[in-house]
Amino acid sequence: MIKDEFLRNMYEAIVAGDKAVSVALAAEAVRSGADLLEVIEKGFIPGLQKVGELWEQGDYFLPELISSAEAMKAAMAVLEPELDRNKIEAPTSGKVVIGTVEGDIHDIGKNLVASMLQAGGFEVFDLGADVKLERFVEKAEAVGARIICLSALLTTTMTNQKRLIGLLRDRGLRDKYKVLVGGAPASRKWADEIGADGYAENAVAAVKLVRTIAGRD
Amino acid sequence: MSLPLLDLVKTRTVLLDGAMGTELMARGLPQGTAPEVWNVERPGLIKEIHGEYFAAGADVVSTNSFGGSILKLAGHGLGDRTYELNLAAARLAREIAPAGRYVAGSMGPTGKFLKPQGEFTEEDFAAAYAEQARGLAGGGADVLLVETQYDLREALAAVRGARSVCSLPVFVTMTFNSFPRGFFTLMGDSVVKSAAELEKEGVGAVGANCTLNSEQMVGCVRALREATALPIIAQANAGQPVIGGDGHVGYSQGLEDYVRFVPEIVRAGAGLIGGCCGTNPSFIRAMARKLREESS
Repeated sequence: MIKDEFLRNMYEAIVAGDKAVSVALAAEAVRSGADLLEVIEKGFIPGLQKVGELWEQGDYFLPELISSAEAMKAAMAVLEPELDRNKIEAPTSGKVVIGTVEGDIHDIGKNLVASMLQAGGFEVFDLGADVKLERFVEKAEAVGARIICLSALLTTTMTNQKRLIGLLRDRGLRDKYKVLVGGAPASRKWADEIGADGYAENAVAAVKLVRTIAGRD
Repeated sequence: MSLPLLDLVKTRTVLLDGAMGTELMARGLPQGTAPEVWNVERPGLIKEIHGEYFAAGADVVSTNSFGGSILKLAGHGLGDRTYELNLAAARLAREIAPAGRYVAGSMGPTGKFLKPQGEFTEEDFAAAYAEQARGLAGGGADVLLVETQYDLREALAAVRGARSVCSLPVFVTMTFNSFPRGFFTLMGDSVVKSAAELEKEGVGAVGANCTLNSEQMVGCVRALREATALPIIAQANAGQPVIGGDGHVGYSQGLEDYVRFVPEIVRAGAGLIGGCCGTNPSFIRAMARKLREESS
């Protein structure tokens, strides 16, 4: 049984976006032989959830979100090798392929979603910006991801989100993948119209959506 | 020599132009092409767009250089053409501008982050904007419009960059989101903080553009008015993009609904008003009419 105070410190380090403290606490957990799954699920992850709440309330903004996600990833980087060594399956939530669609070089939102997903325990394959639609399919097929996230900032490039769905359909792969869309011009209605499997308005909502789709929550 | 723009603002509400990107797309700009390339490849079309905005009643048009900083152009492999493309942008607007009308050199965000979120320093950003400003000033812009900024630190770096190469007045618009606690940028900069720091930096006018629709813009302008004595710029979006059945992209706020809030935006304290995403010359024409009704 891990002391509540220890878990509380982990929670607070993530909420504060303090990478150094998060890493130190993760290292201490490994050294003391603590139950690492408990450390992740009762210490670090609740911290990340709190950060999401603070963002949704408008108390936290992008810099805080990025700092917390970085702190979380750094802590996980300490914990994961130890979990592997003990043959404990890390609570990974699944594989996600993400990118900004072709013709669009905007990547701020996409990077944030990728970062939050990674912090949230997903294995993220970030293809970058201006990604040819074929590449999304090739990558998802190659790594065995079941979720494809498409970002677009422009009203002129968001139509490529629709085209990707058509591409999957043409290849007979539509049912194999969940396609989620985001970006300033996208909306719930747009997602419905093009037959996407989901839409998220922001990075925090995106993590929740992917969790739901992946069947974690 | 006509009245400097900042003096005109003291006498009446100044009308700016509306969206440029969608006008370019409507004229066949291929997806993924940097719009600034058309300043040299399709100059006639750029002048046509500016001409339509002037004809609609705009006092000021913004040059086709929103993505014209070195860092943004570098994303298209065009970083080394920064000066040339911005020079052309300002020249085209200048050439088509009737006497007594103005050219604002548009400078949009780099799309990159400063440290610690990104890899750039404020000096990097200032240099990226300085080269752009040099081109715009050389091409005959009357003012520089640093616009759609989501990071106050970047906006301040842009102002310093512009200052390092020219003496033109610099205007800044930030893009704010509406939250229960007020209006904030993506990075969490409040209206009060943004206005105060930009004023301290010596900008000629501050304001808000993009993101908010014209109804939301009323509240944002009020907040700006409380925060600064500088002239205030307001360029709202026409709501959110919506896709029609034919696949054509429209915006949720129709023209009538959009211009309905123009008098309120002016009464809230905006001295320079124009459009952003989803607006076009028809919107500007309707805004000109509203402004005439207001002043008569």
